[in-house]
Amino acid sequence: MQCRDVEIVLEQEGLAPLPDAAKAHLAECSSCQGLVADLTNIVATAHLLPAEAEPPPHVWISLRAQLEAEGIIKTPAEIARASAPWWQSFAAAFRARAFAAAAVGLLIVAAAAYQLQKPAPMVQRDAFADTAMALNEQEQDLSNMRLASTSAVDSSFRQNLQTVDEFISECERHLKEDPQDDLAREYLSRAYQQKAELLSAMMDRGGSVN
Amino acid sequence: MGRHVLPVLGAAIFLCSAGPAKATGQRVERQFTVQGRPVVMIQAVTSGRIEVKSSKNPQVIVSASRASDKIAIDIEQAGDRIDVTAIILDPSAQPSELESNFLITVPEETELQLRTQTGLIYVEQVMGDMTLQSVAGDVHLKEVSGYIVVRTTGGSLVCTQCAGKLEFRSVSGGAQILQPGLTNVSLFSTSGNILYDGDFIRTGIYTMQSGKGTVEVHFSGTDSFDLNAQTTMGTVDNQASAYLKPDSHGMKHLAGKFSKGLFGTVGQGLAKVELSSYSGTIRILKRN
Repeated sequence: MQCRDVEIVLEQEGLAPLPDAAKAHLAECSSCQGLVADLTNIVATAHLLPAEAEPPPHVWISLRAQLEAEGIIKTPAEIARASAPWWQSFAAAFRARAFAAAAVGLLIVAAAAYQLQKPAPMVQRDAFADTAMALNEQEQDLSNMRLASTSAVDSSFRQNLQTVDEFISECERHLKEDPQDDLAREYLSRAYQQKAELLSAMMDRGGSVN
Repeated sequence: MGRHVLPVLGAAIFLCSAGPAKATGQRVERQFTVQGRPVVMIQAVTSGRIEVKSSKNPQVIVSASRASDKIAIDIEQAGDRIDVTAIILDPSAQPSELESNFLITVPEETELQLRTQTGLIYVEQVMGDMTLQSVAGDVHLKEVSGYIVVRTTGGSLVCTQCAGKLEFRSVSGGAQILQPGLTNVSLFSTSGNILYDGDFIRTGIYTMQSGKGTVEVHFSGTDSFDLNAQTTMGTVDNQASAYLKPDSHGMKHLAGKFSKGLFGTVGQGLAKVELSSYSGTIRILKRN
C-alpha cells in the first residue's frame, strides 16, 4: 500500500479501524503517521466544540460582504437567482435557527446587491420576495414559540417588529410606484436586515427565557 | 434544543462550579488584578443597570447585586479577561425578580463587551474598543474613546464627548451625539431621531440615516465638510444656507429622480457628511 492508498482509505472509511495493509504502511511512513495524527487531533478538537454554534446574522452578512470585497464571490446576482433551488433542497435544514438566520442574512445581501446592480422591476420584486418569504417562515416558527410574556424585553421586541413591518410595507408601497428609487430600496434592504436580526433575537429569547 | 436545554445547562454549570467567585447573597464584590489592557465582558440575560467607570489602578472591581436567588451571577478571571455572566435559574420568575445591577471599575484603558436586556448601560472615561448591546435599555457614554459599537432594539444612545469611531444601529432608538471628537460616525435607526451636535473632524466621514425619524446636525462655523443630504418622502430643512456653498470640489451631485437632495460645502469641504431619511426631516443648523 502506498501513501495515496492510505489517503483513500482515510477518506472513505475514516480513522478507525484501519485495514492491516494500511497499518503496515503507517508503521514505516512518517508522512502518513503525521497525516493520521493531524486527523486525530482535528476529530478530537471537533468533539470539544459546542453542539450548536449560533453566530448572529450580522456575522454572516459581514462575511459575505468581505468575500465579495475580496472578489471570492463575484456574482451576487447569480446567487440571488439560484436561491430558490438551493432553498428548496435545504428546506429541512433551514428549520435550524442558526442556519435560518445565516441564510436570511445571505439572502438579504444578495437581494440588495442584485437590486442595486439590476434595476429591472420584476427581478427586484422577486429578489425581495425570497427574503420576505424566508422571514415569514421564521415568523411562523416564532409564533409557535412561547413569547407572550409582558416583560419589557418581549414588549420591546414585539413593538419594534411592528415598527419594522410597517416601515417595510411603506417602502414596498413606494417602490411599487417608483421601482427605481435607490434610496427607498436601500432603506427597504436595511429594514429586512433588521427584521431578520429581530426575529433571530426573539427566537433566542424564546429559547432562553419564557 | 437550545430553547429547553440552555437554561438548565446554565443552572447546572453554575451549581456545579460553585466557588469563591459566586454571588452567594444578594450582593457580591470581586477584585481582579490585571496587567496591560483588560477585556471585560458582561453577558446579562436579566434586566438592570450596568455602570462602568475607570480608575488609575490596574484592577477590575466588579460589584454586582441581584434581586433574588432566581438568578445567578458568575464572575471569572482568565488572564486579563474578566467574564461576568448573569443567568436565570428559574425561568418562571417574575420580571422584578430577574434584575441584576453591576458597577464595574476598570483601568482607563479597557476593552468592553457588554450585553444586557433592559436597564441603562453607562460608561464613563474608558478608552478602548467597546461593543454595547441592549434590547430596551438606553446606552449613555461619557468621555469614552475607541471603536465604539452600539446596537439596540429600542434603547437610545447618548454619547457625550466621545472620541474615535462610533457605529450605532437601532430599530426605534435614537442617538444624540454631543460635543464629539469622533473621526468616523455611522448612525442608523429605523424610526428613532438622530442629533449630532458638534464639530466634524477634517478627515472624518459621518453617515447618519433614519427611516422615519429626524436627522439633525448642528455644526460650527469653523467646520470644513462636504454635505450630502437626501430624503425620499421627507423634507430637508436647511437653516444654514448662508454657510453652505456649492460643492467646491467640482463634483456634480444629482439627487435621485425620486428623492430630494441638498449638496453643499462648508469651509474647504475636508470632512464628508452624508445624511438621509426616508420620510423624516433632515435639519441642518449652525451652532451659535
